[in-house]
Amino acid sequence: MKQKNNSKSMKAGRVSVTYKIAFYAFMVVSVVITLFPFVWMLSTSFKSPGEIFTKQPTILPQLWTLSGYKNLFAAVNMWLHLCNSVIYAVSVTALSVLLNAMAAYAFAKLRFPGREKLFALLLVTMMVPGQVTMLPVFLILKSMGLLNSYAGLVLPGSAAVFAIFMIRQFMMEIPEEILEAARIDGFSEFAIFWRIMLPLCRPIIATLTVFSFIGAWNDFLWPLIIMLREDKYTLPVALASINGQYNTDWGLLMAGAVVVVLPAVFIFLLAQKHYIKGIAAGAVKG
Amino acid sequence: MKFLNNLKNAFKFIFYSTRYSIHYTLTRVLVIGALLCLGRPANAQPQQLTVWAMGAEGKLIRQAAEIFEKRNPGVKIVTQAIPWTGAHEKLVTAVVGDMAPDISQMGTTWMPEFRAMNALQPLNEFLAASKLDAGDFFPGARDSNLYRDQWYGLPWYVDTRVMFYRADMAERAGYKKFPGNWEEFYKFSKALISSKKGGYAFALPTNDWQIFLMFYWQNGGELLKGSPLTAGKFEETIAYLKRFFDEKLVPLEGGHDTDLLTAFESGYFPVFISGPWMISQLETSKPQLNGNWTTAPLPAGKKRASFMGGCNFVMFKSSPRKALAWKFMEFMAGPEMQAKWYAISGDLPASIKAWSAPSLSKNPKLASFRKELDTAKAPPQAPEWENIAGTINDAVEEAVFGRITAQAAREKLSTRIEKILAKSERQQSTAFKIGLSLLLFMLPICAVILYLRKGPRAVAGGKAQPIASLFLLPAVLILAIFLFIPIIASFIASMTNWNMYGVNDWSKIVFVGLENYAGLFGDPVFLAGLRNTLVFAFMGVPISVALSLAMALALNAQILRAKAFFRVAYFIPVITTMVAVAIIWRWLYNPEFGLFNLALGHLGISPQSWLSNRWLALPSLILMAVWKGFGYNTIIFVAALQSIPDSLYESIALDGANTRQEFWYITLPMLRNTAFFVIVMTTIGYLQFFAEPYIMTGGGPLNSTMSVVLYMYQQGFKFYNLGYASAMAYILFGLIFAFTTLQFRVQKKLEGTF
Repeated sequence: MKQKNNSKSMKAGRVSVTYKIAFYAFMVVSVVITLFPFVWMLSTSFKSPGEIFTKQPTILPQLWTLSGYKNLFAAVNMWLHLCNSVIYAVSVTALSVLLNAMAAYAFAKLRFPGREKLFALLLVTMMVPGQVTMLPVFLILKSMGLLNSYAGLVLPGSAAVFAIFMIRQFMMEIPEEILEAARIDGFSEFAIFWRIMLPLCRPIIATLTVFSFIGAWNDFLWPLIIMLREDKYTLPVALASINGQYNTDWGLLMAGAVVVVLPAVFIFLLAQKHYIKGIAAGAVKG
Repeated sequence: MKFLNNLKNAFKFIFYSTRYSIHYTLTRVLVIGALLCLGRPANAQPQQLTVWAMGAEGKLIRQAAEIFEKRNPGVKIVTQAIPWTGAHEKLVTAVVGDMAPDISQMGTTWMPEFRAMNALQPLNEFLAASKLDAGDFFPGARDSNLYRDQWYGLPWYVDTRVMFYRADMAERAGYKKFPGNWEEFYKFSKALISSKKGGYAFALPTNDWQIFLMFYWQNGGELLKGSPLTAGKFEETIAYLKRFFDEKLVPLEGGHDTDLLTAFESGYFPVFISGPWMISQLETSKPQLNGNWTTAPLPAGKKRASFMGGCNFVMFKSSPRKALAWKFMEFMAGPEMQAKWYAISGDLPASIKAWSAPSLSKNPKLASFRKELDTAKAPPQAPEWENIAGTINDAVEEAVFGRITAQAAREKLSTRIEKILAKSERQQSTAFKIGLSLLLFMLPICAVILYLRKGPRAVAGGKAQPIASLFLLPAVLILAIFLFIPIIASFIASMTNWNMYGVNDWSKIVFVGLENYAGLFGDPVFLAGLRNTLVFAFMGVPISVALSLAMALALNAQILRAKAFFRVAYFIPVITTMVAVAIIWRWLYNPEFGLFNLALGHLGISPQSWLSNRWLALPSLILMAVWKGFGYNTIIFVAALQSIPDSLYESIALDGANTRQEFWYITLPMLRNTAFFVIVMTTIGYLQFFAEPYIMTGGGPLNSTMSVVLYMYQQGFKFYNLGYASAMAYILFGLIFAFTTLQFRVQKKLEGTF
């Protein structure tokens, strides 16, 4: 640990002031570009209808109003749909992280016949656009009697080739010596996976958590067609069902977008803490 | 499969029968208890009726349901609001999955499709026994429910199109009254444009078939009556409209990219065509304009004709409570409730009698609508209508852009319509179809098994670890059921003519071999989509991956403080919902006052139509897609960068290496696995380009932003040509497969060099 601090200060010392200023200027400009729509969305949610579409929109509302939020909470049962969304996103994420990481471990670190071929086969399935499999998946769930159920909602998304692929690539970087040492110490493969591999993969597991959560959290079409009752709607479905065919209450829509996006930002904030340097390196040194 | 079904049914039976008996006993106990307590019979289980309605109507219908429930004790109406986006998919899956409600709201243009699916209950017998006056509906509203003298729905509400115009600006141009016919309207437009500075006379989108049809009908044109189009009438209509474009009275480009309300306010578009919903929209979002605008009936051609839109109520064939369902439909369609519904929702009544209510007949803003309703027309009742409408857009666009003559456009359009309407009379025996399906199902499975078993059984690097199968089992099982089997199923579908007639009735599906694939290579829209998709991937992937890597390195820089903030900031575009993103990018690309044109203006460059110029539209979408997606790869790179041990940098630093050398000798080689993953995934993602054109341009102008997946989606879920759409998916699959194989080869080669 001490050594690492030393190297940091040593490196920081090398950097000139002009470089630092240029670097921060670049970062600030890029952040303005990426954050702009988010800020706009936030401010629009507090604007009155007359202010939303104008030639010269202002960054801050000229007249702050909470009517977007008030209308939103009046139009939908927010807590109910929020609960549904949380149940959906959390269960998909939990299953997805566990199942995909397990499969990835087998592909990255275990030996079995046909390993590369099976993996290639999985990759091939990723190349078929998801839109064409939607109806067959729906029919399969129907034949299993899982329509209009949480199982039908969650199961199809709980294993994903891209996730297996992503974690496998990360695991392949982890030195074999760590695993060998553990095997010599008498660890079972499950113990190695659970107590060594997963902790070492924290950054990529955090990334997958974010991807799965956001994927399920923003998902619209699947929860809509699987769930048969309005009280089972997730938040994006409930929000979309407020809009008229031609009329859109933009203040309400933006308030809804803010409510949907904040939990996702929160999850990302939690996850990004796990981007810590040198977990694997530390493990090798023992 | 059959055996499994039986087993499942047996379980179900046991399960339900036990549950039923418990339920039954409980109910009896309760009923007896209630009888004892209250001394009067308790109500039996109320009769339930499920009603689906879309969007705002889906919420408001509760109020109508309550009136009905009050008048019919013992009936409970369960209403469900379906979002407009996704309503088509929801309805068709409900039909396929036997989950359809008793009654649903249905857009007038969707009626023929669901009738073709054999999902709608014919209503003549109910209507004959009813007091409801079928002659009380506007002709256009009636037509969308009638097919070959059979009623398939009842009108719920109507909308039609009128002119919205700035009365103050018209007056400045010397017009106190809105022009009443085509020639006068043309002169009015000329006067309007010479009386103001900048902008145009009229908003006339080139990609809106409804607007073209109104002019075509006014000119006496007919659709799908004998021939697809009326020769001469089509050309005259194009000639009339083209004059507006050629004389710059309306913009050829950018007309539909600007925000209509703001353009109306600024006078950029002082006149536009729209429906009744626009009244309240203008009143609430542009209150400062109140008093300066009004509505007028469309200028007449040889006759009057507007577009009849709106919604009907339909009853599904699967409903077990048809008598009760009819009662509710009858209730909603009667003049009394129709007038009430206007008070609840502001939707215009389809019932003529309902219009005698003072709130409607005395409302000056509605007068123009009332006038148009008598002659407003519904589009033809062909199940393939949605598909035909898309081809009308293409033809009109090509003709007004002057790429082909009006006559050539009509001939081309007629051929396309005839091709869409051509029905295969092929018959195949059920045994043949089942046999072939089984064979086609088994073939890929056998191929996969053979592929997996082929080659040496020995495992490199030591003994096999059987425990691996336990790690693999859950994920592989789920993937097998929800990915492998659906993929094989859709592959089989790609060799059939599966369309809307077969959605609900599988006996109508016929094997056509490779016909779909052959057809695709003669389909100009698909070929355009293929070309655009390739351009999109070749431009988008390198930019996106390079940007992601650069940003990840910046985020990982030692000198950066507040890392969490910057990480979130870069990831925000990924999280933000597409709706919000689309609005802001529309505003950035706005041809009238967008930020990009503002910047160009400072450089002395004339404003551009970013989304409707056919050379700019695709690059504009790429820019947006890169912005929206780069954060995704950035955090994958950030995660991977954490696993590079500092010791490597330290040792190379001791050797006197500079930052650039560090990047080339340490960072890049250590990221190779991740970079490879990112490149493969990004390529796949960009070749399946969909969301941006779907939301921003719909594939236009002139199909310059049409992508393979967007066209596949349109064919599959808008036109229900599921076989054709599946074939597209497999051509795209072949393309992606080729690219990915190439990438794997290159990676293997590079592997040796590291």
